[in-house]
Amino acid sequence: MTKEQLITKLKPLIEPYVQDEEAFKNLSEDTDFVKDLKVNSANLVDIILDIEDEFDIRLENEDMEQMLDVKSAMEIIAVKLGI
Amino acid sequence: MVGNDIVDLNEARHASNWQRARFLDKLFTELEQSYIRDAKNPFIMVWRLWSIKEASYKLHTQMYPARFYNPKGFECTLDKNSATAKFKNFQCHVQTRVTSAYVISEAHLDKKKLSSVIVKFKGPGQKAQSEELTTRLLKYAGGAYQLNKNTLGIPALSNGEEHRYVSLTHHGSYGAFAIS
Repeated sequence: MTKEQLITKLKPLIEPYVQDEEAFKNLSEDTDFVKDLKVNSANLVDIILDIEDEFDIRLENEDMEQMLDVKSAMEIIAVKLGI
Repeated sequence: MVGNDIVDLNEARHASNWQRARFLDKLFTELEQSYIRDAKNPFIMVWRLWSIKEASYKLHTQMYPARFYNPKGFECTLDKNSATAKFKNFQCHVQTRVTSAYVISEAHLDKKKLSSVIVKFKGPGQKAQSEELTTRLLKYAGGAYQLNKNTLGIPALSNGEEHRYVSLTHHGSYGAFAIS
């Protein structure tokens, strides 16, 4: 899976929790879930659970710790998938 | 230093599902899950514990400026309306108030009364609500205070001479701020 394919799979998982649509339109690897997309911290866990379901992986506490932006999420998914 | 967190219970009902698979395991320790199991109202207990963790994390970021996501790492022990939260060597005291509309928690290093000012937003929209909350905070602080956020997003009040710690929280139709 390429980076582009990964980000394409990620976007619809993030979308339901986005509170800044403008920032979502410009989503890139550098986009921060909380600072840019204004995702409520109570919904970060939903994004993590949705990622687990979509990619059929399990994320541990230490994996979740840095999952505050798109780039970190992509890196952790790539590691778990072994790609 | 102070950290606070508000949960709009109506929003929590609609925007989150605490009963979804693995949700509780991701966020809560064994002890916290036992509080939820034994609670008369598990829904309220879930959001009470969540707000304690968030308030504690915000206080933690003021002491040790760093952003991370590890709610389970903040271990709560409850005692009536008070709680203590521990994260590694960090420990704080948290007061919580539960109403029919919201849950508010406020974390301090020492035991202190809850001082958060609650704001019910006039209209919808994250941005407008955020501005309303800031306006209310600055009016409350008075003087020439300005609200600044550092690169980590940690807020502080300053009037050029004095700096004061502040915590802001926003969820659904409710917001709150606390100054220390």
